[in-house]
Amino acid sequence: MKKWLSITLGIVTATGGFLDAGTIATSGESGARFGLGLIWACLIATVAIILLVEMMGRFSAISKKTYAEAIRENFGFKFYLLPLLSEVIAESILLAAEIGGIAIALSLMTGISWRILFPPAAFLVFAMAWRAPFDWIENAPALLGLVTLSFIVGIIALGGPSHQLLSTLWKPEVKQGELADYLYLVAATLGATISPYLLYFYSSGAREEHWTSNSLLLNRVTAIVGMSFGSLGSIALIFLGAMVLQPLNMQGSSLGELGLSMAKALGPFGALLFAVALFATCLGAALEVVLGVSYNIAQGFGWEWGEDKKPVEAARFNLVLIIFLLVAVAIGLMGIDPLQLALAGSTVIALFLPISLFPFLVLMNDPQYLRDKTNGRFSNIAIICILLIAFVVAFVSIPLEILSGGG
Amino acid sequence: MPITDDQIFSIRDIIDSQLETREKRRIGRVSDIEAIWQEDGTLVLSSLVIGPQALAGRIASPIRSIVRFVLRDRFDHRIPLDDVEDFGPTLRLRGSAADYPVGQSDAWIANHILRWIPGSGH
Amino acid sequence: MLRKRCAGPLLLVLLTVTGCQLTQSAFSRTVGNAGAVFSAASTTLSYAHEGKITSAYAQASFVNYQSELDGLDQQLPSQQGAPDKRTVQHLLDLYRPAIQAVIQPCLEESCHWQAQVAALNRASQAFLMAGG
Repeated sequence: MKKWLSITLGIVTATGGFLDAGTIATSGESGARFGLGLIWACLIATVAIILLVEMMGRFSAISKKTYAEAIRENFGFKFYLLPLLSEVIAESILLAAEIGGIAIALSLMTGISWRILFPPAAFLVFAMAWRAPFDWIENAPALLGLVTLSFIVGIIALGGPSHQLLSTLWKPEVKQGELADYLYLVAATLGATISPYLLYFYSSGAREEHWTSNSLLLNRVTAIVGMSFGSLGSIALIFLGAMVLQPLNMQGSSLGELGLSMAKALGPFGALLFAVALFATCLGAALEVVLGVSYNIAQGFGWEWGEDKKPVEAARFNLVLIIFLLVAVAIGLMGIDPLQLALAGSTVIALFLPISLFPFLVLMNDPQYLRDKTNGRFSNIAIICILLIAFVVAFVSIPLEILSGGG
Repeated sequence: MPITDDQIFSIRDIIDSQLETREKRRIGRVSDIEAIWQEDGTLVLSSLVIGPQALAGRIASPIRSIVRFVLRDRFDHRIPLDDVEDFGPTLRLRGSAADYPVGQSDAWIANHILRWIPGSGH
Repeated sequence: MLRKRCAGPLLLVLLTVTGCQLTQSAFSRTVGNAGAVFSAASTTLSYAHEGKITSAYAQASFVNYQSELDGLDQQLPSQQGAPDKRTVQHLLDLYRPAIQAVIQPCLEESCHWQAQVAALNRASQAFLMAGG
């Protein structure tokens, strides 16, 4: 029974990992600007992340090593510095964006400016990361995150998409001068979805939960169900943006705007549901981001780590956590809009994606770690395809960001 | 796993490995290894080095000098190879955390920084 | 080095293959974005009075709209791709009442919120049209 209750690990990983300020931002903007014309990018990203999460879980369950531990031990310190540095930069920006997302959600519920709510939001993340056992971190945002199912209710309440809109699924309408923006959103969608912090968090979570080779089925189910659930929420947001925001010529450039579609569908209760969904997903994501990067550093340097230990028992791990939260608060207090921060963070992630994912190719084929459960041909081809996509995305993300003026 | 006579170890098996004390406490990773020239001309591994200077040295030698200038050997520690009881991806040490200066870092941070934050378990 | 040498040809290929303009001028982009934000503001204000959102929600949203639109009147005249002075002046004339509505949106029943919605709509339409 406990094993199947553990399926919430997958759901929170999805709620926080798939759905977060980044994917909500890209989904909302995609729908508002290009109708359903970017759903294909979302689907490719979903398949990629399902495969990566399943492999990551399998790796940690059998080898009893986390991703960061394996990178340092197998590739050496010099190589380890590359994903480490990219994580530190990207996640600092992303953490600020997630906390900003929590602040905006709270502001939409209370009417108080998000800038004032930013420090309390950061404190909430700190309080949970500091003292809450891994179980709570798993379950609390996950249960709240079920609210994203209401997006589907919203679509139904609005009468579903028109035939004309549905045709944009395979024939996206890209107007003159908007190609750079379109391609930028493709890159941002992939960067927002295939997030390395998710992998560091998931592999550490597998260790926190003491997964073994008996957990492989559970791992597979949580990867597929969890990520699909997250993807559903994302796609629903694209639909809502396309159905409500696009006809009104909005671009979905602020998070509150995206809730207007739920408001049209279900009135003020709908708008509240959006705010709660935003709160839950950004809280889950903030925890995963800050823990993911802290796990990465502690494990890479060989320090004590773990959420089920008292802070003084894993002092350096918790100190790193505090430092990252302080950096995020500093970035947040600069007043940059969280949606813009989320897009910037996704771009940085996209840029370093090949470096973050390359170790997979080697590690998943090493029988020393995986014994008889190394990758089959299909999985290896899948990793190579994902790496190719990652390279292309990394290559074009900066030029596109410049050309499209930051999306 | 204990060393057997027919197991050949490379530096790669030891460097970057996790260091664990007798009571299974993680204290760090091997940053570098020191070796001594013997009289008969052989090179023998003598101690494990853990610390930022050694790590800096692995990136590039000039960086090690800069870091040494700043940190002045205060954060680099040596553990004699004899102290290693078990080899493998995790190196098990004979002593407990308090026996090794590098094992005291967590305690120092706990006592000097974390204690001021409520709920730290201090 | 490889990036610099490949970026040029890559962009050229993209341009020829798609046959369309890759991106817009800075002016078009700015006014296009502003038009969209004005539309969002107008929708938010209408929804607040139609009971579709709470005034707390509306108030919080306007904070974001304001930071997106702030300083636009300083930015516009000097942007790359700006058309003749008359068009820019026309846009600025519509900007002023609209930005007032964003800074102080009227969320009670007793005030002239319909006038604010109208000003926001006018600004939105004009800016979107200027953006192409």
